[in-house]
Amino acid sequence: MVIGIKDALKFIGISVVVVCAAFVCTLFLNYDLDLRLLSNIPDAALPLYNAQLSMGKAIAAISGCGLALTSVVLLVFYLKNYIDVHGKELGILKAMGYSRFSVAKHFWIFGLSVLLGAMIGLGAAYLYMPTFYSVQNADGLFPEIAVRFHFELLLSLVILPTLVFAGLAVLYAFYKLKTPVLDLLREGREKTIKAHKEKDGPFLKGLRLATLKSKKLLVFLIAFSAFCFSSMVQMSLSMLDLASETFAWMILMIGLILAFMTLLMSLSSVVKGNAKTIAMMRIFGYEYSVCSNRILGAYRPFSYIGFAVGTVYQFALLKLMLGVFFADVEVPAYTFDWKAFFIALFAFVALYEFILFLYAQRIKKLSLKSVMEE
Amino acid sequence: MIIAKELRKFYGNGENRQEVLKGIDLTVSDGEFVVILGASGSGKSTLLNILSGLERADEGSVLYDGTDITRFSDSELTRFRKAQIGFIFQQYYLLPHLSVEKNVRMGADLAEDQNYAEVIEAVGLAGKCKKYPSELSGGEQQRAAIARALAKKPKVLFCDEPTGSLDERTGRQILDHLSKLQKGNGITVIMVTHNQNIADMADTVVKLNSGTVLEVQHNNQQKSAYEIGW
Repeated sequence: MVIGIKDALKFIGISVVVVCAAFVCTLFLNYDLDLRLLSNIPDAALPLYNAQLSMGKAIAAISGCGLALTSVVLLVFYLKNYIDVHGKELGILKAMGYSRFSVAKHFWIFGLSVLLGAMIGLGAAYLYMPTFYSVQNADGLFPEIAVRFHFELLLSLVILPTLVFAGLAVLYAFYKLKTPVLDLLREGREKTIKAHKEKDGPFLKGLRLATLKSKKLLVFLIAFSAFCFSSMVQMSLSMLDLASETFAWMILMIGLILAFMTLLMSLSSVVKGNAKTIAMMRIFGYEYSVCSNRILGAYRPFSYIGFAVGTVYQFALLKLMLGVFFADVEVPAYTFDWKAFFIALFAFVALYEFILFLYAQRIKKLSLKSVMEE
Repeated sequence: MIIAKELRKFYGNGENRQEVLKGIDLTVSDGEFVVILGASGSGKSTLLNILSGLERADEGSVLYDGTDITRFSDSELTRFRKAQIGFIFQQYYLLPHLSVEKNVRMGADLAEDQNYAEVIEAVGLAGKCKKYPSELSGGEQQRAAIARALAKKPKVLFCDEPTGSLDERTGRQILDHLSKLQKGNGITVIMVTHNQNIADMADTVVKLNSGTVLEVQHNNQQKSAYEIGW
């Protein structure tokens, strides 16, 4: 079969996201479950007890759902790319008489990237848990909270996600493999482009719009990654003022890793997805700077839109969480964190341009012939 | 005039190192139609890529009117291709998300020529300007690729197996178009093919075998695309 464990390892980006998701969810949900086992909560500690229970569930739900959504987006995107790149091999299998399902069922292996990430995240959470518990109970308001292992967390955060993602991969592959054999076999498949009204005007002027229209998924991905970057970095930085130092740094590190990973992956996809167009333009004599500006630059406005939406989202979320869950507890008043906003914006612009610059250097070093023949 | 001197090209490293071009010498005059003929693996496409500045030779030089392009930087090569070179590939390599018109305009804008409609008409695609490559037949796509190449008014047109993916009827039409456009505009055409019959259309035929020039033939009586065998 054409799909092996090596292929699953290429989905390392999903593993990284899942590590973070499993880590945060295990930490807060395990604490939540252990906290519930306590009896004799002093009256003075009740507001904090209720707030911690609600906050734990909210953080686990928000980060878990957010990260799960990120993983699903990445999975679909990776699978789409995988099928595009390996279309010929999959087409040969179909031509030989393998049914759609008999080919698609082998895609379960991509669930392993989730298993790997979830196991690492769960393990890391249990290692960190004693420190986390002592930080959560730093004032000693609760009786001592013992760290217990909860099988239901292993089931819901490791086993079930692995099965769901493996199933999703098979279903998606099954859906995508309905492409006719000849289309899969044809090298450099050319999909039928839906006719749209093309504006008259110079080639370069129309190119930007045509590129964006033909690669909507990339536009979504770049906006989504900017959204993730903006919300995660700003939320993490704001936590430095709102939460304990250990907790804030933990969130910040996770936020930065995730933000960097999603941005890196989306930009690499953008560059790879447009490499042929750039190569052809360079063959004809267009300067690289012109190609880069017109094609790669077309995605930039969408990244800023994603960043702006992420800013609003994280502000509303933090405001809501503090208003609802910590209404009875004394926490600093939360206003929009301009410092976090400017740090995140500067980091985003610098990182975005730096990654694009690195990819530009790589593209320049590739022979035009090799790009076209890929 | 194009003069290639002692061109050598190697692929691979160590034990796998292979000499693909073994000291090629070649001279092409302005306005000439040259066919480089050879079997698969003879090095003909590599030679075409080096002559056109798409690939660099490991040794030797390529002189265009006395200027050695092998010494050019990447940006100098880009400017050189912009000013002088057109390409037609076996796989067409049209940009799939752009219409025929926009694909041709990609070439025309480089030459700052707004009369690209004439080129589209010349290749018989006037009625299909707004179509996308996926809506065209193989022959039509190749004609669009020819129009794109010609719209930038190149001095030299490089064609890599331009009829390799086409049936006989369409192949002859394409060759006929190319031949007429070459003669009409005085463009130098360098075409790589494994089809011996196409050689009958050329002014000069360069036969390659395992990276060396076996023979250079000059044709006094070129045949038309409809007279050659297939």
